[in-house]
Formats: sequence, C-alpha cells, structure tokens
Amino acid sequence: MANIRELDKRRKSIRNIRKITRTMELIATARFKKAMDRAAAANDYTMRMAQIVRDLANAGLETSHPLLEKRPEVRSATMLMLTSNRGLCGGYNSAVIRAAMQRRDQLRSQSAELDLEISGKRGISAMKFRSIPIDRTYTQFEDEPAFEEVAEIADRLMEEFISRRIDRLDIAYTRFISISKQEAVVETLLPFSQPEEEQPHQDEQKQLVVNYEFLPSAESILEEVVPASFRVKLFKCFLDAAVSEQIARMIAMKSATENAGEIIKQLSMTYNRARQSKITGEIMEIIGGVEALNK
Amino acid sequence: MSQLQCVVVTPERTEIDQVAEAITVPLFDGQMGILRGHSPLVGRLGFGVLKIRKSDSTTSYFIEGGLVQVQSDVVSVLTDRVTPTQAISRADAEQAMADARQLPAESPEQRAAKEKAIARARAMLRVASQ
Repeated sequence: MANIRELDKRRKSIRNIRKITRTMELIATARFKKAMDRAAAANDYTMRMAQIVRDLANAGLETSHPLLEKRPEVRSATMLMLTSNRGLCGGYNSAVIRAAMQRRDQLRSQSAELDLEISGKRGISAMKFRSIPIDRTYTQFEDEPAFEEVAEIADRLMEEFISRRIDRLDIAYTRFISISKQEAVVETLLPFSQPEEEQPHQDEQKQLVVNYEFLPSAESILEEVVPASFRVKLFKCFLDAAVSEQIARMIAMKSATENAGEIIKQLSMTYNRARQSKITGEIMEIIGGVEALNK
Repeated sequence: MSQLQCVVVTPERTEIDQVAEAITVPLFDGQMGILRGHSPLVGRLGFGVLKIRKSDSTTSYFIEGGLVQVQSDVVSVLTDRVTPTQAISRADAEQAMADARQLPAESPEQRAAKEKAIARARAMLRVASQ
C-alpha cells in the first residue's frame, strides 16, 4: 500500500512547513514590537512640533509657505508607494498597490503627468509585471527606516515641489490605526496641510495662551517648522508602513500555522483510517488462510 | 522651586531628558544661555553645541538645526540629529567640509543647500578643534 507511505510523507512535510510558519510568526511578532516602540518614540517629536504649530497659530500668525501653496492646476505629480521588500505578508502589498493604481488612473484621467517612486521590492516587481514605468526605486527600507534616509527623500521632493517641477505629491502606504486595524490609503502630502490638532480635548483644559518670544521672528520659525513637519510626516508614513507590514506578516503566518495544523489533523485521520483498513485486510487474509488449512 | 528640565528629541526618539542648572543652545545667530525662570520662547537653531550644565559637570552635544521651545521651565530642543561632541573628530569635520565644497551650486536651491552644508561643516570644525 503506497498510499499510506504517501500520506505519511505529506504529513511530515506539512509539519515542517508549520514549524517554519510558526517561527516566522514569532519573528514578525518580535519585529513588530520593535517597530512599534520606534513609532511610539517618534511620537514625542510630532507632538512637540504640533504644539509649536498651535502656539504659532495662537500668536495670530498667518501661515504661508511655498509648501502650503495650493496649485489650481496639477500638471505633473509624483506618487510614492511604500511596499515591503519581502513577501509572505498576506494582502499587505496588494492592498497598497490596488489603492495606488486607483489614484494613478484618476490622476491620469485629469491628464496629469505622473512619476512613480516605489519603495520595496514587492511593489517594484508588481509594477514591472504590469509594465508600468517606474522613475525611482528604494530598497533600503526594512523594518527600521532611518530618519536620515527618509529626510533625504523628503528634501528632494520638497525641492521639486518648490521649484514647480511637481505640483502634487501623493503617498500610498498602509496606515496604522490600531493593532487590529490597518488600511491602505493614498494621502496627498504636497501641497502640505498643517497637522490637524490631534487632541483638542486636552487643549481645551489648558487654554492658557502663552506669549512667546520668537527668535528671530515668527515667520522665520515657520520657515523651519513647515519643512520639518513635512519631513517628520513622511517619516511617520514609513514607520506606519513598517509596523503594518509586520502585523500583516504576523497575521498571515498565524493563519498559515493554524491551517497547517488543520491539514495535519485531516491527514492523520486519513492515514490512521488507511492504516487500520490495511491491518484489517491483513487479518482477514490470515484468517482466510487458516480456515483454508483447517478444511 | 521648580527645576529646569531639558528635553532633546529627534524624529526617531527622545535622546535626552534630564534636569539641568543651565543650558546653552546654539541659535541660528549665536549662543543663548537659558536659566530657570526664563520667559516663554521659540527659537530657531543653527548648527552648533548644546551645553547642559548640571551642578559642576557639563555635557555638550553637537546638534544640527531645528527649534527650541522654552515654556514653564521646560526646554524642548527639536533637532534632526544629536551627537556627543567627543564623537566628532577633526578628520570627520574636514571630510564634511570637503564634501560640502564639492556640492554643485547652479540653481538657487542648490546654492542654499551648499551654504547649509558648509555652515554645518564649519560648526563641526569649530567643535573638533576645541
């Protein structure tokens, strides 16, 4: 009976797969925790920056900056897409790509020229498969994106926007909402909109307006604040994407492990049944043989 | 009496959070000392040395631009990068200067970037030669 051996072999290989997916799940969990800590550590800067922006607004400053300027006609735009370098993370990449493609079609229907920049090997190969031209690629971002590298991209994009080579910058990434919820979104980063007041409730409690002294002037501070907020916003997108990727991989690997367990259970059952029927068959043969001898 | 709290944050994490007696920050046009009870202030930073004095020891860091905010005895320094001054060697500074001089300066944006890089390298040289 080759069938039994076949079943056993399959069961063994699935056991191996389960071991691998289980390990990958554990690795993803550890990486997720690390990425999450980094994202939390970055929050401090964002909060303080938002505080300064609020104080500037309270000081009655008219916010005007080249990066905030809305262009009536979008002639050329850039879209940055954040995908992962590695696969085996469920629908993480395909969701981002789908959202990005939708926005791309929409922008192209407005006859805007669109440059595509992609971070992550998965996105790059997906675009190559669709034979969509890519203008820039980044593969250096893993689960711990460095601010310096992101700032470099941010500086270049800002320069392109200010010098009017691009009129708009979109970013497609997976936003982290909570551990159980992440969604692929396309956001417009440039023209930049000032960060919304994130915790208005806390603010209402301490409505003491502080009269700041601005050195050298409020306008000059604004000149520093706007690019810095943009850089940090872009950095946050990268961090969110990294956290979401690890969560997606964790969930994908968890369900793969569970699925493997299920298959092993079923295979074991079939295997045991086959084994039992084989034994029964053998016993029947022996009994048949003995009875034939007795006659 | 409340104490002077010094918090230095970069986009990646909170680097320093400690109590200090006096803090010297490098504003874009020169150094400024901050003691307890300073009036609220928002200032633009340049490249230079941040000094934190605590009883009789002083620690200094090289910071690269950003903002400083002073409010109710909390000094928040928001900057892109913080390096202890000991970690900056003369060779590094000279390399930074050489790199900065190599930058192209054809468009106004490029010139601005070059000037910024040179200012940074100069500040590094100043720190390294101390």
